Amino acid sequence: MSVEPWTTKYRPRTSKDVAGNKPAIEKLRDWIESWSKGRPSKAAVLLYGPAGVGKTSVTEALARERGWDLVEINASDKRSGDILAKVAGLASTQSTLFSKGRLILLDEVDGINLRADQGAVATILQIIKETQYPFILTANDPWDPKTRPLREACLQIELKRLGVRDGLPLLRNILNQEAVKANDDALRLILDRDRGDIRSILNDIQLLSSRNRSLTVDDIDLLSGRDRTESIFEVLRIIFNSRTTASARRALSISDVDQEMLFQWIFENAPYQIPKPKELEEAMSALAESDLYFGRIKKTQSWHLLSYALDLMTAGVAIAKQTSLSGWVPMRFPQKISSMSRTRSIRDTRKKAAASIGVRSHVSVRRAQQLYFPLLRFIYEHNPDEYERIAVSLDAKEELDHLLSNEMRPPN
Amino acid sequence: MPHCLFAGPPGTGKTTAALCLSHDLFGERFQDVFMELNASDERGIDVVRTTVKEFARMASLSQVPFKILVLDEADNMTNDAQAALRRTMEKYTETCRFILCCNYSGRIIEPIQSRCALFRFTPLPELKIVEHLHSIAKREGLKVTDSGLKSVVEVAEGDLRKGINTLQAAASMSKGITEEAVYQVVGRAKPTDVHEMLTHAMKGDFIKAREELRQLLVKYGLSGSEIVRQIHSEIFRLPVPEKKRISLIEAVGEIDYRLVQGGDEEIQLSALLAKLASDA
Repeated sequence: MSVEPWTTKYRPRTSKDVAGNKPAIEKLRDWIESWSKGRPSKAAVLLYGPAGVGKTSVTEALARERGWDLVEINASDKRSGDILAKVAGLASTQSTLFSKGRLILLDEVDGINLRADQGAVATILQIIKETQYPFILTANDPWDPKTRPLREACLQIELKRLGVRDGLPLLRNILNQEAVKANDDALRLILDRDRGDIRSILNDIQLLSSRNRSLTVDDIDLLSGRDRTESIFEVLRIIFNSRTTASARRALSISDVDQEMLFQWIFENAPYQIPKPKELEEAMSALAESDLYFGRIKKTQSWHLLSYALDLMTAGVAIAKQTSLSGWVPMRFPQKISSMSRTRSIRDTRKKAAASIGVRSHVSVRRAQQLYFPLLRFIYEHNPDEYERIAVSLDAKEELDHLLSNEMRPPN
Repeated sequence: MPHCLFAGPPGTGKTTAALCLSHDLFGERFQDVFMELNASDERGIDVVRTTVKEFARMASLSQVPFKILVLDEADNMTNDAQAALRRTMEKYTETCRFILCCNYSGRIIEPIQSRCALFRFTPLPELKIVEHLHSIAKREGLKVTDSGLKSVVEVAEGDLRKGINTLQAAASMSKGITEEAVYQVVGRAKPTDVHEMLTHAMKGDFIKAREELRQLLVKYGLSGSEIVRQIHSEIFRLPVPEKKRISLIEAVGEIDYRLVQGGDEEIQLSALLAKLASDA
């Protein structure tokens, strides 16, 4: 069920492929090249900028195009003293005759938890001082006070959000390769919506194009309200990866996605994100409890109950999931939302047919559906002529034709 | 003729009796002075205040002493609507007689019951059903085996409508009605793949099972409580230990109650499927 995410598939191969930020990337490349003339005055670079602008990608591309090893530590790893010591070791070892070049990357330094990683900053400063290889640190927020000492020790290079000028050709190119059509307005909207965060844009359009090979502004609008603060995928990612109730609940505060809409997203994706049956059982049970609170709120207008519904659907699901996924599983669009209009028309047609049948058979609409639809379906399958005669006499042929042809499943 | 209350299980001829009675009284053109409303579809108090009242209060233009209004499935009316109906019945007795049909007379409020002559309809005896099916088969040129007929009667459980419908569906396959044909109708024409859905869940394939559930809800238009009802009867056929059956019944009962409290059928039933899948 795993599909290769576009964010991986279209990772830049060389630093020239990285979209946008040309001057910054030029500066970074110059700095790396300056190592060939010996250790430069600043042995480390703090590469900073918002999420998804390509900080890690550009570093990887630089190592790859030189055939260097990339030693990479990121925030999802525990930054214990041991690991930093290992990095320090690798950084300070002189290369032997046979070894290749080396680039050291410490991702997301602003993710350092000062309490858990006591002395981390001091250790990193030490590494910067002694490193024999180019050392790149990345951060979202360079002004975080706890990383200030690092800032001063590094050459600072900023990667800015991708604008329409660089973003549009990049998206065009990828969509061409995927044979997905999209108009410029739609792409502008998504660039603007995701604030130039390429990772989230690619996730969004990969998902959208999995259900529709041609994207319009309406499709993009479907994703969430125009004024959202975080992409729905980010919210889902947080919920399905949280290990604590607190962080799962926080997912709600970073987003203004409609809560019931979010519920549908979680409900749709839970079985894909939580493959362990026991854990899924717990998650679905939390969702069912949450749903019950939503129902009670609607029935009694008791809005103070909302917080229980929200806790159960976020934290309840997050805590149920104990085992991490091994691969990347794409988020799926909630069926309830995407098929709403289609099912509405089927519902209406069914009602109309049942009303006709009800009048002629002296039963209610509900019983007409219960009693007659199954039999009509049977006759439709076994004797189309007979079915036609009956459907006409019930004055519901058009509706029944529509329903039954829709219901018929492809032969196994 | 007094107001009448016809009470009895489905398919025992309540509505048919009301239609025939009107026909007997007024002849071929009875439709002019006759109205049939299904209370399940039009059970609101507004319908009683408008449609019912309008029909009841207008004296008939034809040469008949009164009109007849049949209210089918009257036990599905809300209590408020029944209370409103009570006044209308009283006020317009001169111009209109009511025939209320219901499955359970107990669900009709006392004041209405006391204004009606109560007629109880009972499930038809086997012999009567056999007789009737035979005459239909003859007129439709069907060849019915004894065992075929017996199985239709079994399926019908005293509900003649069900019996006739089953016979007609079986006849659509072939003019010869056999036991196998009847069971094919019953088996295949179940609106559901409730069994299939449960089987997927018990094999641990929650995603497939949820897909089946959605088919039942969206495509087949089954209500949540209908599915719950069918799951309940399936539980006794599932290949699970006896203890498990009891815990499943508890779970199904809880869902049934939650649906009443405003729970969403797809979400609540999915939780049940996940429970089944985790035991696989």
